[in-house]
Amino acid sequence: MQSFSNFLDGTIALFSDPLGILIFLGGVIGGMLFGAIPGVSMLTLAAILLPFTAHLSAEHGIMLFSVIYCTGVYGGAITAILFNIPGAPENAPTAFDGYPMTQKGLAGKAVGAAVMCSALGGTISAVIMMAATAPIADWAISAFGPPEIFALVFFGLTVAASVGAKTLWKGWLSILAGLMIAVVGLDPVGGIERYDFNMPYLLAGIHFIPTILGFFAVSEIFVQAEKKVTGVYKAPKLSVDFPSLAELIAHKFAVIRSIVIGFFCGILPGIGATLAAFMGYNEAVRWSKQRDEFGKGKLEGVISSETANNAATGAAMIPLLALGLPGGALTAMMVGVFQMHDMEPGPLVFLNSPELVWVVFAAMFFANLSILLIGFLETKTIINLLRIPFQFLAPLILLLATVGAYAVRGLVIDVVVMFVAGVVGFFLRRSGYSVAGIVLGLILGKIGEQTFAQAMQMLHFEWSGFIGRPIALSLLIAGILTILGSIYGAFFKRSHTEMPEHQG
Amino acid sequence: MGKLRIGHFVEAGLWLALAAILYIYSFEFEQSIEIYKYGATAWPRTIILLIVIAAVGQLLYHWERGDEATSGTIGAATDDGSHNAAIESGHSSFRWYLSTFTLLIIPFAYMRLPEWAMQAFGFDEGGLPTAKLICAVVLIVLYIFMTRRNHVGGMLALPVFFAALLEDMGFYATAPFFVIGVMLLMGERRPQWMILIGALIMGIMLFLFVSLLYVGLPTGNIHPFYDFGNWVVKLLQ
Repeated sequence: MQSFSNFLDGTIALFSDPLGILIFLGGVIGGMLFGAIPGVSMLTLAAILLPFTAHLSAEHGIMLFSVIYCTGVYGGAITAILFNIPGAPENAPTAFDGYPMTQKGLAGKAVGAAVMCSALGGTISAVIMMAATAPIADWAISAFGPPEIFALVFFGLTVAASVGAKTLWKGWLSILAGLMIAVVGLDPVGGIERYDFNMPYLLAGIHFIPTILGFFAVSEIFVQAEKKVTGVYKAPKLSVDFPSLAELIAHKFAVIRSIVIGFFCGILPGIGATLAAFMGYNEAVRWSKQRDEFGKGKLEGVISSETANNAATGAAMIPLLALGLPGGALTAMMVGVFQMHDMEPGPLVFLNSPELVWVVFAAMFFANLSILLIGFLETKTIINLLRIPFQFLAPLILLLATVGAYAVRGLVIDVVVMFVAGVVGFFLRRSGYSVAGIVLGLILGKIGEQTFAQAMQMLHFEWSGFIGRPIALSLLIAGILTILGSIYGAFFKRSHTEMPEHQG
Repeated sequence: MGKLRIGHFVEAGLWLALAAILYIYSFEFEQSIEIYKYGATAWPRTIILLIVIAAVGQLLYHWERGDEATSGTIGAATDDGSHNAAIESGHSSFRWYLSTFTLLIIPFAYMRLPEWAMQAFGFDEGGLPTAKLICAVVLIVLYIFMTRRNHVGGMLALPVFFAALLEDMGFYATAPFFVIGVMLLMGERRPQWMILIGALIMGIMLFLFVSLLYVGLPTGNIHPFYDFGNWVVKLLQ
């Protein structure tokens, strides 16, 4: 009941503040648009906005990012269904059955199901998040010291490395590259200069904002330049047609299964909404008695994928807010927002600024609900906006990124670093590395080294000290098991989880 | 040889070279810290060791499996199509890489060459802006010449070149050309559209950041770019 009254307070705080409402609406529409436009994703939008959140309050900044997260995950479903072009990777499995439905003339029903299931999955995930985060944070305050946080970072990185990239090794190399970037600058214990190469710029370390902008906004444009996406589509006629209650009830198991899958994918670091959608879809195929119909326009395919990806959003906030551990690229950027306001995400946020947490929770709840409303009203407008050719969008995004990178510290060298990161990101992406892994390594590297040093000092440099701390020990063991499991999977077992053939 | 291609060796070689350089440089800051037994080097050196292990593991993996992804689900979830685009566009030949990396050196040439030239010929400091202007013109001509045959390479180098010119020429004088350049490289050919949209984009940027948010964008430090930048700022604020 305490949670409910907090939720009401958060709702009132959110909707009694005109600037807050404006940011909320901007996030809802911006996330949906960037999710829908092929070639850019919600991560592009978030990266561009990141430097400017310095001008907002921490509350508004985090709220904006969480809203973009919720609606961005839904936005790409529209183009996936109508044109077979997922706006973002999270929506790729939606196209498997969504596009065949369009070809059969059932586009309205597919979009309707996507709208409804995204809202449903997201809202339920938000409710569980509200109920679960505070108790976990309470427990973490007393139970988590530096050894536990280090063990958690270790576990998080092992999971992220195992699933992030094209191969296990590339996943690890991505994470390690991020960790190495985090080393540049002053060391956290003795303040010794590392890898400054006699350049004063490097003394302060490589700033995460130009790096994130380069990896997510700039490299995205380069990939599109190579693909030469023109962005002009013939829009099919569309009327949004919600599935009837009976149809939804008929798929209740698919919905529940996808919520559970999505939620667990969200809560584990490094997995996030993209894998949630793929696993939701995969499980739907595996459990179904009519496997052959998948890929030919089965409603259940759309339902499974869209429910799962939105169900991951609320869950991803739990480790971030309760433990201070970002699980994916977008939550890593949220850590950036916290840091720009001199705050560290983690259990103490609940103690020091509970109003922030509840405004964010309320915003996520209503953002998921607003998918229902906006999905119904605005889908046709979005389709028209998609006709903006990419060659006009690209220079705008690049200039916004330039101003963003420059505005942080007023250094032109930050702009150079950003574009170089974009070039590096482009080459890494086309060779199968994970840019999200690099950013996760970059953000977690500093936390990891610092907590490791503190933990070692605390345990008097005795590694056996970890044995006396059950939580830290079990997290370390879980991390080691993750590594062993993925090595086993990579070397000794040919994969049997091939996707259906139509995936192309 | 298994399924290894030259590209796989280059990839592993780059990682190992990076690890070697980072390891050698780590001796520069090998100092003990009184309160911390492991010192400043233990953490980075552990990461370097892991990079070496992972790079070798990656090479062995390529040897056995070629370019196959680890598992169906994960491979599909991480594939953003950039790899296929690279293969389809034929941008994986040695010539393409050579021309692209030459293009990418151009911006860095601008950042270093004028100073070196000044020192080599013993000119005094006052001539630096002129040297920079001459260097910029030569490099822009070279860039345009090379880009005509390699649009993607040109697209990669253009923003870096733009950023390199930003300090001296300023945002206000260079950004319009940058916008037009990106449109051209993305395949736009209609002049009226490029001018219209270019003006619109510049209008949005200047209104939003200069008039509304008072972000001080770089005005440049070479005459006449410096004066132009200041004139624009004065006009808008």
